[in-house]
Amino acid sequence: MHTERFERVKKSTNLHFTMEADEALRKIEDFPSNPGAMGYFYDLFRSVYANGGSLTHKGTIIGTMCVQVPEELILAAGAVPFRLCNGAHAFDQAGAEFMPAKACSLARATVGMLHINRSVHKERLGMVVVPATCDQKRKAGELLREMGYNVYILEVPSSKNSEEARHYWQNSVKRFTAELQHLTGRKITKKSLGTAINLTNEARRQFRRLYNFRKISPPVVYGKDALLVSNAYFFDDKERWLQALTDLNNELELKALKGESVGNRHAPRILFTGSPPVFPHLKIPLLLEQSGAIVAADEVCSSTRMLYDAVAYDESALYDMIPSVADRYLKPCTCPFLVLNDDRRRRLKDMAGQFAIDGIVYQIFSGCHLYEMEQRTIAKTFADSGIPLLFLETDYSQEDTGQLSTRIEAFLESIKARKRRK
Amino acid sequence: MKYFCGIDIGSTATKIVLTDEEGKIAAHTTAPTGSHFHKNAVEALEALLCRQQIKRQDIGYIVSTGYGRKLFKEADETISEITANAAGARNSGEGAGTFRTIINIGGQDSKIILLDDEGHVKHFTMNDKCAAGTGRFLEMAARNLEIEVDELGDYHMKSTGVPATINSTCTVFAESEIISLMAGGHSREAIVAGIHYSIARRISRLAGKIGIEDKVFFDGGPALNRGLVASFEDELMREIVVPETPQITTAFGAAVIAQEAFAAEGEKINV
Amino acid sequence: MKRLRQAINNSDISRFRFHFQLFAFGLLIYGGYLAIDFGSNYIPAFACPFVETRGGTCYLYPLQHQLNMPLSQLFSGRGIGLLTGFITFLLMFVLFNKAWCGFACPLGTVQDWITKLRNRFGIRYSTYSETVFSRQKNIKYVLLALLLLLSLGMSNSLFGMQKLSGDFSTSYCMICPGRTVLPLFTGDMSQLVIDFSSKTKTVLTGLGMAVTGLFFTGAFVKKRFFCLLCPMSALQYIFSKAGLLRLKKDGMKCTRCGNCYRVCDVGIREIADDLESTMIVQDDCMMCLKCVSACPEEGCLKATFLGLPVYEATEQGFFKRMGGRS
Repeated sequence: MHTERFERVKKSTNLHFTMEADEALRKIEDFPSNPGAMGYFYDLFRSVYANGGSLTHKGTIIGTMCVQVPEELILAAGAVPFRLCNGAHAFDQAGAEFMPAKACSLARATVGMLHINRSVHKERLGMVVVPATCDQKRKAGELLREMGYNVYILEVPSSKNSEEARHYWQNSVKRFTAELQHLTGRKITKKSLGTAINLTNEARRQFRRLYNFRKISPPVVYGKDALLVSNAYFFDDKERWLQALTDLNNELELKALKGESVGNRHAPRILFTGSPPVFPHLKIPLLLEQSGAIVAADEVCSSTRMLYDAVAYDESALYDMIPSVADRYLKPCTCPFLVLNDDRRRRLKDMAGQFAIDGIVYQIFSGCHLYEMEQRTIAKTFADSGIPLLFLETDYSQEDTGQLSTRIEAFLESIKARKRRK
Repeated sequence: MKYFCGIDIGSTATKIVLTDEEGKIAAHTTAPTGSHFHKNAVEALEALLCRQQIKRQDIGYIVSTGYGRKLFKEADETISEITANAAGARNSGEGAGTFRTIINIGGQDSKIILLDDEGHVKHFTMNDKCAAGTGRFLEMAARNLEIEVDELGDYHMKSTGVPATINSTCTVFAESEIISLMAGGHSREAIVAGIHYSIARRISRLAGKIGIEDKVFFDGGPALNRGLVASFEDELMREIVVPETPQITTAFGAAVIAQEAFAAEGEKINV
Repeated sequence: MKRLRQAINNSDISRFRFHFQLFAFGLLIYGGYLAIDFGSNYIPAFACPFVETRGGTCYLYPLQHQLNMPLSQLFSGRGIGLLTGFITFLLMFVLFNKAWCGFACPLGTVQDWITKLRNRFGIRYSTYSETVFSRQKNIKYVLLALLLLLSLGMSNSLFGMQKLSGDFSTSYCMICPGRTVLPLFTGDMSQLVIDFSSKTKTVLTGLGMAVTGLFFTGAFVKKRFFCLLCPMSALQYIFSKAGLLRLKKDGMKCTRCGNCYRVCDVGIREIADDLESTMIVQDDCMMCLKCVSACPEEGCLKATFLGLPVYEATEQGFFKRMGGRS
């Protein structure tokens, strides 16, 4: 009786998720002159999400709940990192059974997805790594353990400024390394870690190429495509993803050389920050670009924060490589769970200059107090430099689309008026 | 003679304003939006043109705004109601230049717009998803008090003594609160005043968050309600400027933008 | 020009440095064989005077000698020797700044070789904790002050004390591992002894032997172990601001990723965390420029000479160096 009901809920949730994914993809593709190389990514999402397909990865899959999980180590241990952070309203609703109504959509949707599709995921995921970052993620980790997942809590310091914090984190990563090796039964060697670092660094190099193309004005690529590319990194095979992004970059390079551009030449250039847009919840970036703006840059953990920084190590030996990998995940991090997060403000300011930004759009998911509390200082920073900031509180539902579009359009209109008067 | 049309399709009413080449209001009309709002809007526009004996081809440019703006395909351009409202207020002649804050109460939302020195949008905020502190809230209250919405102002002005306290901002709960206040022997006047103060306080709080400056320009249909204006004056402790026909400010702003766009296009052709 | 600059920025500075150090070591230690002499006494800041075949002399040696005279004479004609020595030192230094330590100092080079050896064995290095590091920083200044005072104290009675015996002559050199280690490279083991001729000499050379042992073990577990104690480094740092070769940082471009700190042999945290200073050379810095090569932000860190960029952090260069490794 109970299971029968669950099967029904599962069926309907997955159906709604498929509908959501399909709608999002339609919106993403409904733009003129999409790059040919984006086809790979559109197809990837369609086959995996909209058509209810599944992924085939060789080896143990390690689910990760945050950008704080060092994927080089997972790869070096012969496993596959798979970021679980979910963006679907259907799963958000399913997660409401476990988490408070005021919890953030992302954490709730992730829990919801792992609850609804537990039969598949418990088998596929060798381990779910939950970094102890924000409250919602931490407690979600406990919930997942109760559901029967093999949860590993990766301890993270709450500040990154002291040497003690750094060493605490490095030790935590060392413990994680041991656990990984135990799980996969494969020893991480200088060679395997070196190969993993080379692969991920190459991914970041290609990501930075894309990042740099977004600096060009008039723009050569839409932000929605850039976001989809980094979203694909969550789950796609790394080598395949790398090839597809390289192709896209090469295409964009040609486009830039030929002087081709997308959208309006005078389109307001937006820097997107705050809670991360995760497919299919690309609502706000899409609304922005549908309304004639360009999301020229983003400072979110589903994109730039995930793929910008690379590992640098000094000595080719595990004793130096592992702490180097660890450093990469703590030192440049600008997630607001870290206390004294001046780096984020500086980063945004620097990006606003580099990308010739006209306005900032700051998304927060209702319930994410950390992003909401940082909003004030960020807004103040930009008020001083004359760049307007639009603060949008939202969740995964589409109910507020009308309201949001009015706000977004008014914001863009005021930017355009300002630009015209200059 | 060329005319410019601004059409504001709101959740309750559709407002149409025609301006002439001097930017003065030549004619305006208000019609219920209804469920077939595209059809209703087109009919309202046609009726207005017919009444004023203006030919369709004499309209140089149409700008639509409001929630239904995207669906009005006849428009040459759409603009958000925030930009349109600011343009309307800026050009209304009603104490223009003396205010830097606009409070707009519509059928299902309320907005606060801050203007810069030149009267352009500097910052804005809107209420959240619910209908608290909007025209809908007033309609509900009037219905429960068994009076007309237009009478609310008069009731407020007639009230003496202490206004009744309305604690709920949620429309649903406020409804039952009003009923129990009536049962508890409060006069209609006191309840109406209480309702107005509760709305004014709610919106003033919202305004306090973004920081209001100078005099306040108050528009939207509910600005016709004298009682509500008085409550705002008390709550904000500032002078309130209400235009003659506050419900059409946004549509007028759209017409202003239409004229500007028409002129810009003309320049382009001449160049 | 742009091409050349790009090629330089893409280059692997560590490899260049390794070869340059090898060359400088040969020149300074074996230069005597080729009759190369950068001035045994007066042109300073070269190799250790205890190496017979050296191509130059460490400035600390003549400095100690020159200070060994009564103060009255110091400010008269005889002081000119001290002055010219100092000015030539300063000129040299203005040109190279602390890059001397990273690129030429033979004692530094030996330590880098020991590090390579350790790495070959796959043995982990150790690092200082912050408190140890900050305490250790001061030792070199104490040594520098002692070096100056002891030299002066042989011909003057300082602080009302008696004049020191001549056994304190070049006292720092007696405990510097350069004296014992560098001659080994020419097959000269004669410095590896304790001189029992006087009490002072016994203590000094005894200390010297202890320091030598410490030098080898220290350098094996900690990169550039001795540099943190070196009074030469202290002396140079005092004048570092005047150097024409500079290490600059643009704090606005810094993401605080910490890569620079990660690869720093002497563990200077400021390189990553100081966002205000534009001149970033710290007292222990040896301008090896590994930080520049590990910085992925365009132009965030750079070495400049007379304001012109010599070696600059670039994204391309970073990925070239960090990409195809191991």
